[in-house]
Amino acid sequence: MRNDDRSKRPLSASRRLFLQRTTLLTGMIALGGGSYLFNPKGVWAADPIKVGIATDLTGAISWGGIPNSQVAKMVIDQINKSGGLLGRPLQMILEDTATNEQLAVTKVRKLVTQDKVDVVFGGITSSMRNAIKDTIVNRGKTLYIYPQLYEGKECTPYLFCTGPTPAQQCDTFIPWLIKNGGKKFYLPSADYVWPHVLNEYARNTIVKNGGEVIGEEYFPVDHNEYSAAVNKIMSSGVNVVFNTTIPPGVAAFFKQLNEAGFQKKGGRLACVYYDENALGITPAHEIEGLASCLDYFKAVNDPFGNQLQVEYGKLFGDKLLFTAGSGATGMYRGIKLWESAVKEAKSVKREPVAAALDHARISDGPGGGCEMVPGTRHVKMNMYTAVSKGGRYEIVEKSKGPVMPGECA
Amino acid sequence: MTIVPFLFDVLAYSAIFVLVVLGLGVIASMMGIFNFAHGEFVLLGAYTVYLFHSSGLPVWAGMVAAPFVVGIVGLVLERVAIRRFYATPIVAMLGTYAIGLALRETVRSLLSGQFYSVTAPLVGSFSFGEISISRWRTAVILITVAVMVCSYLLLTRTRFGLQVRAALENPPLARASGISTSRVYAATFTFGAALAGLAGGLMVPIYAISADMGVPFLIKSFLAVMLGGMGSFEGAIAGAALVGATSAALPWVIKPVVADVVVFIIAIAIVKVRPEGLLSKWRN
Repeated sequence: MRNDDRSKRPLSASRRLFLQRTTLLTGMIALGGGSYLFNPKGVWAADPIKVGIATDLTGAISWGGIPNSQVAKMVIDQINKSGGLLGRPLQMILEDTATNEQLAVTKVRKLVTQDKVDVVFGGITSSMRNAIKDTIVNRGKTLYIYPQLYEGKECTPYLFCTGPTPAQQCDTFIPWLIKNGGKKFYLPSADYVWPHVLNEYARNTIVKNGGEVIGEEYFPVDHNEYSAAVNKIMSSGVNVVFNTTIPPGVAAFFKQLNEAGFQKKGGRLACVYYDENALGITPAHEIEGLASCLDYFKAVNDPFGNQLQVEYGKLFGDKLLFTAGSGATGMYRGIKLWESAVKEAKSVKREPVAAALDHARISDGPGGGCEMVPGTRHVKMNMYTAVSKGGRYEIVEKSKGPVMPGECA
Repeated sequence: MTIVPFLFDVLAYSAIFVLVVLGLGVIASMMGIFNFAHGEFVLLGAYTVYLFHSSGLPVWAGMVAAPFVVGIVGLVLERVAIRRFYATPIVAMLGTYAIGLALRETVRSLLSGQFYSVTAPLVGSFSFGEISISRWRTAVILITVAVMVCSYLLLTRTRFGLQVRAALENPPLARASGISTSRVYAATFTFGAALAGLAGGLMVPIYAISADMGVPFLIKSFLAVMLGGMGSFEGAIAGAALVGATSAALPWVIKPVVADVVVFIIAIAIVKVRPEGLLSKWRN
C-alpha cells in the first residue's frame, strides 16, 4: 500500500529532494573535502604532533578513564609549556570509548585514519586493549601504549605496556604476605581474564615460597553474595585472602568477611588493585590491614610524586585521584617514555620511535624513575607494598630496585 | 556448626531480594507494566542515603527519606511519561529501559563513576561463640518482614487496595464505579517506586553505591515475578524468596559461576511445570 502511495508522489517532490541532496553534497564538499584543499599546511611554523587518547570517560570503567585522560592532559600541557617536542606543539585528541568495545573500535579507527594521530594511549580493561589493538597497530600502523596494570602476555609488536605485570605485583608481595600473614592462601576471584591469569602466576609464586593455596574460586563479575566463600575461608584456617573480585561486588565480600571476623582472628586481606581511590569502596574499619602492591602510593612521599599530586589536585580536584590502580601512573610513565623516545629518534614516525622506545628511560616519575626492558615492550619499575591503616596507606616495603616485568622475554 | 551461618545468609540474601522485588512485583502485578527502570529506582534510593551520609546527616534519616524521594520521582515519571505506555506493554518496557539508562548515567556522572561506601546505622556483628551474625543484615531481615506484611495488608485490607485490584482486573468497570483508574495507577506506581527506593536505601551499606548497583538485581527480579505468576502480589514474594534462596544457597555446593546459570534453569523448569505461577492454586 505504502509503495503505491510513494509511486504516486508528485514529481516536484523528487525534484525538491534532488535539490536538497545537491545542496547537501555541495556543502559537504565545500566544508569537508574543500577545506582539505585549502588546509594551511606549511603556513604554520610547525604542525602539531597529534596524540590520541582513547579511554573510558563514561560507563562502568569511567573511574579509571577519567583520571587517565586528566593525567594525559596535565602531562601534555606541561610538555607544551616547556616548548613542545621537536619544536612542535602536542595536540591531544581525546575520544571516549565509553566502556564499550564495539564503539571503541570506531573511535580508534577515527583517531588513526581521520585524525592520523602519531601515537595512541589508552584502554583500561584487557578486553578493551584486545578490541582496539589491531585497529591501531596492524591496520592503522600506529604506535599503541597501554597504561593499566594487567595480566601480562601482551607481546604484540608496536604495543608497549607501562603498567605493572603479575611478576611485578607478586614477586615481592607474596613473600611479604607469607611472612606477615601466613602460608594458607585463598584466592576468591571475578570470572574474567585478569584474575585467571594473575592467579596462575600467584599460585606458582605462593608454592615456590613455601605457601599453600587452600582454595581458588571464581564468581560472576557482578556477583554480590559471598556467604559460601566466606564460610569456606573461615572454616579452613586460611591466613591470607588474595582477592581479585572487583567492584561493586568486592564491597559486599569485604564486608561479609569482616563481619565473619576474619581480620579479628588474625587473617590478612590482600588485593593488588587497591589504591587511594578504592579506599572509598568500603568503610575503613572493614579493610583495616588490607595489603596492596602497586607501582605508586601517595604514601611513598617522594618529592617528585608529591609535586605531581599538587599539580593534579589544583587542576582536577580530589574526586578522582592520581593513583596507580586506575592506570594513571602508567599513563604518566607512558607519555614521558614516549616523549624521551621521540626526542632520541628526532621523529614521530612509528619505526624510529618504537626503536628508541624499546630502551627508553625516565629518571623521575611517581614512585621513581623507570625504563623499558629492551625487546619486551614492558617497563622495569619500583614496586611498593602498602597496608591500609585507619583509611590511609602506610608503606611497609619497597622493592630492592626496579622489579623486572617478566613478560615477552 | 556451619548450618547457622548458612541459614542466616540464605535468609538475609532472600530478604534483600524480596525487598527489591516487592516494588517491581507491585507495579508488574497491579499494572501489567514491566518496569525496566526498577534497578535505577533502587539506585536512586541508595543515592539519597549516600547524599545524606556525605553531607553529614544521619544514615537512618536518609533511609527514611529514600522511599519518599524515589516515590516522588516515580510519580513525576508516571505523570509525564509512563502513563502514555499503558496501552502498549512492549513500548513501556523500552520506554522504562530508556528512563533507567538516563537515570543510571546521570548518577554515574554525579559519582564520577566512583564507588562509595556508606556505613550502616548498625555496625559489626553479634557473636555466639564461633558464629558471627551481621547486625545490619539482621535488621534488614526484620524490616523486610515488616514491609512485606504492611504492603500485603495495604493491598488486601484497605479501600486503596481494593481500588488497585479493581483497576487491574476490570478497568472499565472500575471507572464506571467511580474509581479514577488514572489516579490509582499513579498511586500504585508511586508506591512501587517508593518500595524500590527503600530497598536501595537499606542495601547501600551492604553493597557500595555505584551506578550499576541495581543492574544485577533487575533480571533476577523479573525471573522472580515470572515465577510467582503475574497478577499476584504474594506470588512475586514467593518467587523472590525462591530465587534469592537458591542464589545464596547454590554456591555452597557448586561453583558460583555455574550456580548463576542453575538458578535460571531451575526457574525455567518451574515455569514449564506451573506456567500460571507458583501461587496460582491458592488464589483460585
